[in-house]
Amino acid sequence: MKPDDQEPDNTRFTSAREPGRGYHDLGGLDGGQVDPAVTEAKPWEKLAVVIGNSLGAKGRRLICTDEVRRTREEMGAELYNRLGYFEKGIEALRRLLIEKGMIDAQELEHRMAALARRIEEEGR
Amino acid sequence: MSEPFAPGDRVRVARVHPPGHRRTPFYIRGKEGIIERVCGEFANPEELGYGFDGLPKKRLYRVRFRQKDVWPDYAGDPGDTVDVDIYEHWLRSANTKARK
Amino acid sequence: MNDEHDHPAHDHEHHHGHAHPPLQPDDTSPPGHYETMILAMRDLLLDKGILTADQIRRGLENLDSWQPSRGAEIVARAWVDPEFKRRLLSDGNAAVAEFGIDMGSARLTVVENTERVHNVIVCTLCSCYPRPVLGLPPDWYRSKNYRARVVREPRKVLSEFGTRIPDDVAVRVHDSLADLRYLVLPRRPAGTDGWGEDALAALVTRDCMVGVADPQVPNAR
Repeated sequence: MKPDDQEPDNTRFTSAREPGRGYHDLGGLDGGQVDPAVTEAKPWEKLAVVIGNSLGAKGRRLICTDEVRRTREEMGAELYNRLGYFEKGIEALRRLLIEKGMIDAQELEHRMAALARRIEEEGR
Repeated sequence: MSEPFAPGDRVRVARVHPPGHRRTPFYIRGKEGIIERVCGEFANPEELGYGFDGLPKKRLYRVRFRQKDVWPDYAGDPGDTVDVDIYEHWLRSANTKARK
Repeated sequence: MNDEHDHPAHDHEHHHGHAHPPLQPDDTSPPGHYETMILAMRDLLLDKGILTADQIRRGLENLDSWQPSRGAEIVARAWVDPEFKRRLLSDGNAAVAEFGIDMGSARLTVVENTERVHNVIVCTLCSCYPRPVLGLPPDWYRSKNYRARVVREPRKVLSEFGTRIPDDVAVRVHDSLADLRYLVLPRRPAGTDGWGEDALAALVTRDCMVGVADPQVPNAR
């Protein structure tokens, strides 16, 4: 499901009862039983990790860990709560690379559309 | 910034909620603990997050908190603790006696 | 598609318009939005010469080398070699470098379980984790439930993993939010005298090194 392309969600906080707690700042909140199931990261999820690592690697340092954390913290509670872990990482990377002018939002969209079309026609 | 802390010093975490990229979690703000060790000096993540170089480096401390001081309803053992790595600018002295 | 950009390194794997080797040969379902996005992002970064295919390939190989078995080897060595253990506790990065492991800019900090203290690790703000020695963090470590509850009710969360810590042992939670990455050095279980490092390492699961479990000797009395 494609996320909304509107302005980032302005609700920064988890609830009105704790103003000042960012939606990512989870320590001490109520929660359910921890599900112990472990799933292996899919190849595209590993690719996301590697691209992030490569961009931030020593000698390159085009991005840094704290910038990626910060963009995760800015995407809005709706996206943060809906997306999976690696999806959040990719969304954060997208925002950061656009912010830095390293890629353009439109060219990314066009490339995604072309890729989706080609995969549909040719298969993976 | 203030005088460096030493292991054993009582400190209190600032009870402030500034917007933006912070690495001091909400649950520990305003709580009192003890400096367990000096971790060293690191570039400030609050500035690294926005593309600055985060210099000059800030002192990082491991602060140990008794769980019963953090959670009013803590049901575990009185000896249970939570250790959090906190930067110097979030910490205030909590010594009841005047410092030497 | 013409290559209009100069590539800093002319590698043999040009990617413009060519089919990529399938990432998931057995998966015939259409890629989701974010899978498509990361593939497109990769293509753009390669086109612009920001990254090379070689860097990505080496990065994937490096990531595959990050496994909990590495952490287990380190724990087993610390159990049999007191001098190594001392080095590990005082400078984790230097000690794991003896195994060829590069922690990068993270500072590996090893915390030792004793008969008085049981350590457990979390990152409540994101999911910081000592990846070079443990691999990618498991789903539960990244979950809202773990990040929210383990700082507040660690004994209850541990019991949900089947781990009960006695009352005379303090539970010490480490919230790793800065540059330090924590690894738990579990206690060597009884009944393992004379065991070789391989056999010892086999007892050390990832969960033991995060602190939600203790090593178990199979069929222990």
